[in-house]
Amino acid sequence: MDSEDDMHDANDVESLDDDFYSGETEDAAPMDYYSDFVEDDDADDYYDDGDDSGSLECRRSEQSFTVLKESDIQERQEDDINRVAGVLSISRVSASILLRHYNWSVSKVHDAWFADEDQVRKTVGLLEKPVVQHSNINELTCGICFETYPRAKIETASCGHPYCISCWEGYLSTSINDGPGCLMLRCPDPSCGAAIGQDMINLLVSDEDKEKYNRYLLRSYIEDNKKTKWCPAPGCEYAVAFDAGSANYDVSCLCSYSFCWNCIEEAHRPVDCGTVAKWIIKNCAESENMNWILANSKPCPKCKRPIEKNQGCMHMTCHPPCKFEFCWLCLGAWSDHGERTGGFYACNRYETAKQEGVYDETEKRREMAKNSLERYTHYYERWASNQTSRQKALSDLHQMQTVHIEKLSDAQCQPESQLKFITEAWLQIVECRRVLKWTYAYGYYLPEHEQAKKQFFEYLQGEAESGLERLHQCAEKELQLFLNEDGPSSEFNDFRTKLAGLTSVTRNYFENLVRALENGLADVDTNGANSSKATSSKNAAGSSKGKGGRGKGTSRGSSRATDDNLWACEHCTYANAKSATTCHMCNLPRR
Amino acid sequence: MANSNLPRRIIKETQRLLSEPAPGISASPSEDNMRYFNVMILGPTQSPYEGGVFKLELFLPEEYPMAAPKVRFLTKIYHPNIDKLGRICLDILKDKWSPALQIRTVLLSIQALLSAPNPDDPLSENIAKHWKSNEAEAVETAKEWTRLYASGA
Ligand SMILES: [Zn+2]
Ligand SMILES: [Zn+2]
Ligand SMILES: [Zn+2]
Ligand SMILES: [Zn+2]
Repeated sequence: MDSEDDMHDANDVESLDDDFYSGETEDAAPMDYYSDFVEDDDADDYYDDGDDSGSLECRRSEQSFTVLKESDIQERQEDDINRVAGVLSISRVSASILLRHYNWSVSKVHDAWFADEDQVRKTVGLLEKPVVQHSNINELTCGICFETYPRAKIETASCGHPYCISCWEGYLSTSINDGPGCLMLRCPDPSCGAAIGQDMINLLVSDEDKEKYNRYLLRSYIEDNKKTKWCPAPGCEYAVAFDAGSANYDVSCLCSYSFCWNCIEEAHRPVDCGTVAKWIIKNCAESENMNWILANSKPCPKCKRPIEKNQGCMHMTCHPPCKFEFCWLCLGAWSDHGERTGGFYACNRYETAKQEGVYDETEKRREMAKNSLERYTHYYERWASNQTSRQKALSDLHQMQTVHIEKLSDAQCQPESQLKFITEAWLQIVECRRVLKWTYAYGYYLPEHEQAKKQFFEYLQGEAESGLERLHQCAEKELQLFLNEDGPSSEFNDFRTKLAGLTSVTRNYFENLVRALENGLADVDTNGANSSKATSSKNAAGSSKGKGGRGKGTSRGSSRATDDNLWACEHCTYANAKSATTCHMCNLPRR
Repeated sequence: MANSNLPRRIIKETQRLLSEPAPGISASPSEDNMRYFNVMILGPTQSPYEGGVFKLELFLPEEYPMAAPKVRFLTKIYHPNIDKLGRICLDILKDKWSPALQIRTVLLSIQALLSAPNPDDPLSENIAKHWKSNEAEAVETAKEWTRLYASGA
């Protein structure tokens, strides 16, 4: 029942949260779940001050970016133009020309203008008075077509150089159709240089060209501005404004795509941009060798029949009668992976996998003579599998939100608000798959000789990964049972408790992992005793794996325990202080 | 006929080119296409091209004057900004074109380019390299080519 109450709390927080951020999310697309996720996170931290775990994510609680819809962009642009026009006492058209010249930086415009107004006017082409005077002439000759026209058929920019309306139209239209350079157009006279602003455009070109010009102007505000970028997701029309000085480069767009502000690759926290760039180049170089890894089927390690991976979690079960359960990544028996057996999740470790000779399992692997390629293959396969798994989880999440939640709500006679824990679980899975994926790029570049760091890293990664596998499996397979039922099930509440607990536990594991990597594993010394102990017992467990690996006394909880003042939670294995009666991680009571 | 609806601007430019030719430059429209000009530029004095007579062709595209004229050397010339097909690297023939420029200004600019080759913005890599590494020798080659190909025969 504790968790029931938690659920209500979470919903309350959610509604507060909606008010708090109302401006940004109102018109969000239906695929808005990712931003909900981020904001939920924020809200938890924001309102959770009483809880000491709330401070863990303080960095995330300050959103360092704003997603801009087209109307927001227009508004910001207008505001900047009005500001400059007001401060410099110039027309809005002139202010727009100035801002474009100084890449939409209001402060740069102000600085330059007040340092040397004359110079700025000259450079940008803002004339104070015409350079050509037409003293009372009824007729003027166009400088382009050489025809003579009555004064009314002639237009001039601020400089006074006369061109007929149809030549102006040709001149402006040619430039607009040539690209964004039209935003910096000057008078046709080569010796002149007077800027042509939007007033001339509005006066002289077709509606179609006006629209094109407006688009270029809007795009320029995002593209030439150092503080804003377009969301790189295909087809997405939102932009993101980033607060200078923020250390966290991950931004998530309203379209659900998250990317790195700094390098525009997909979001890769906690791994740095340099590692990501190296990794992507490496992947390109090796792509021919790696194609087979992306194949979706492998032979069952026991019966050798091919089995296709069509689920997100790594727990595979071969077809009957074989029914062998194995890990997709290392092809080892799944019984060696679960906490229930007291085994350890160690298939993230390259060395372990190699020692066990699982690389002999497929012909392809046998061909891989070169050790370096084999090592890369290990990391690449895990990186790519998590990527695929994340894609699958994203589509499962979508399916959940659009179809299953509603059905489940009917079948289990529960309001949809009470099923939020399912969406939260899937959001957690999606985010964790992303983080886990990038930790494999990190692991690949972690120097071999930094043994302590490597062990600490692999320990944290293994903990996080096994947590995630349990969560993913629960959300994927156990939920399926309820989806197939027509009426309420007495086990549904237990399922709720389990899934919500796993979600929270997994989140904690990943927060630990992210924090450690962002610290460059600097805690390895202070945690040295803890981690080396954990790793050594892990190795012991690993070596006995071949002999069945069942019934060993080393439970994960006790391996983490550095002294007798801790107890390991039955549900999530978290090591709690002896004084606690409920688990700090999953909130379930001690048994 | 292509010539029947020739813009008045082209007619006026042509008339002026014929009646007040720029010094050292002649340009006359072809008889069957008034947009096609046969051009001759005399090599400027004190340049490696002095004494040479250089033939060019100039064509005014449909979009002229919104688009630049197309100009090409027909006479072989050793010059860092002119390639072996006679194409010319000149800003006003590309992005710096303005409809307020004219055939006359274009040809005067080309004449000026002969007086002041610019190996830093080359069209012909090899000639530019030659120009920068050994200018005296490159100038000699240019003079030699002028004698060989542009002697006005
Ligand atoms: Zn002007
Ligand atoms: Zn005109
Ligand atoms: Zn987007
Ligand atoms: Zn990055």
